[in-house]
Amino acid sequence: MADATTIKEELEKMEAEYEPLLPVEKKLIIWSIGFGIGLLFVLVWISYTFFPASHG
Amino acid sequence: MRANIVKFNIGFFFVFWLSYLCWFIGHYAYFAATDAKKAGVPWSLKLTGEGGFIFALLLGLIIGNFFRPFAKFIGEALKPEFYIKTAIGLMGALIGLKSAEAFGLASAVLFRGLCAIVEAYLIYWALVYFIARKWFKFSREWAAPLASGISICGVSAAIATGGAIKARPVVPIMVSSLVVIFAVIELIILPFFAQAFLWKEPMVAGAWMGLAVKTDGAAFASGAVVDALVRAKAETAAGIKYEPGWMLMAASTTKLFIDIFISIWAFILAYIWCAKIECKPGEKVSGREIWRRFPKFVMAYAITFIVILLISAPHAPKIKPVEAQIDKIKKEITSIEKQLPTVADPVQQATLTAKLDENKKKIKELQESIKESKNIVSQTQIATSGTNSLRVLFFLITFFTIGVMSDFRKLWEEGIGKLAIVYLICLFGFILWIGLLISYIFFHGVKPPVITG
Repeated sequence: MADATTIKEELEKMEAEYEPLLPVEKKLIIWSIGFGIGLLFVLVWISYTFFPASHG
Repeated sequence: MRANIVKFNIGFFFVFWLSYLCWFIGHYAYFAATDAKKAGVPWSLKLTGEGGFIFALLLGLIIGNFFRPFAKFIGEALKPEFYIKTAIGLMGALIGLKSAEAFGLASAVLFRGLCAIVEAYLIYWALVYFIARKWFKFSREWAAPLASGISICGVSAAIATGGAIKARPVVPIMVSSLVVIFAVIELIILPFFAQAFLWKEPMVAGAWMGLAVKTDGAAFASGAVVDALVRAKAETAAGIKYEPGWMLMAASTTKLFIDIFISIWAFILAYIWCAKIECKPGEKVSGREIWRRFPKFVMAYAITFIVILLISAPHAPKIKPVEAQIDKIKKEITSIEKQLPTVADPVQQATLTAKLDENKKKIKELQESIKESKNIVSQTQIATSGTNSLRVLFFLITFFTIGVMSDFRKLWEEGIGKLAIVYLICLFGFILWIGLLISYIFFHGVKPPVITG
């Protein structure tokens, strides 16, 4: 395990030397959430249609 | 595992017997009995025998936090990941048999588990990564393993992501320490929460444990506890006796798919980091990389599952309908037998006797038709009950060792306060609730088989 003070210092230093979000990171976040929400409807339809399991 | 065999054996001696002691205490009627009157005690916590898991965790936590020299002494045998992976391998057989007996339900649980984790992955990871980067100003090197650790599957995800983005080893190690602490907290709280509020939706409760509780050990363990607690509550509150193991199956299915998916997610991240963020000339991400990151223990589960499923699937589904038919005929026989002495007319008597004989013959034929299937299924049951006892033992040891390894003071001293705040906000802010919503969407109304008779 690394020296505790080093990690503490590193975590504190990160705020001062902030790396802004790159366009590719923003894209990853937006695509991931958007795809997740879109896919939710498709997967719900597939599971209820092809894998029914006595819904009450 | 590169363990010192002598030290491991000495440590394992204590780990085994202390865990077993907890199992023994867990079966004390005051803690375990679901019906206190039947057990001959005035009151009971109704935890079922599997409450022993909770005692093992608590004893482990006491040792890890108050008897540190002893925890260090048995340190070589504290390998919860090894124990739980062995248990998972053994569990495949049990789930295989259950799936054969209720194939429709099992395939629905498997598919819905897969859907649930795809959703959880896509939504959780991106949200945690965004919060860590934007609000808490973490660097990419810290934010990505933290997002995987908090949102996906704890230790293995943090390590796989750390490897995928080429983070320094200390980053996933720190994240993993945090994951273990919170997994223990979740393990203590969530099953009881699920018992109180989700006992009418048992499979939602099981899947929620798989989605919300990080680390394999804690997730499987919480699945087992939820299984016991919810079954106990359903039995005492509504008189419904659910077949054991189905909630655990929902939890383990979602967790196993998560484990499999880690390699895919790690590959996606490795590709993005390599191609778009830290692009180095000549560096490529290959299919071999996916295989390298693939959690291999999942294969043990898959093999035992498939072998038992293949053996019992052609036979198990035949038995229940035929037995139901036999039961129906038996009831008919009882009714005729009651009717017979009251009938004076010889013609009617002869008709009833003929019907009686015909029914008896029918029963014999039906019994004969499933004789071979019953024989095969009973042999499979004997085999899986043997492996199941071992699985329970490994589960128990996992609980105990997770507890011993959770030295809260030491981890706090290592400066994980800021990481802990992100974890706390994400976990209680949305991970638990989105996980619950996803579990509800895919598993509401799905009920485990009920034990009759």
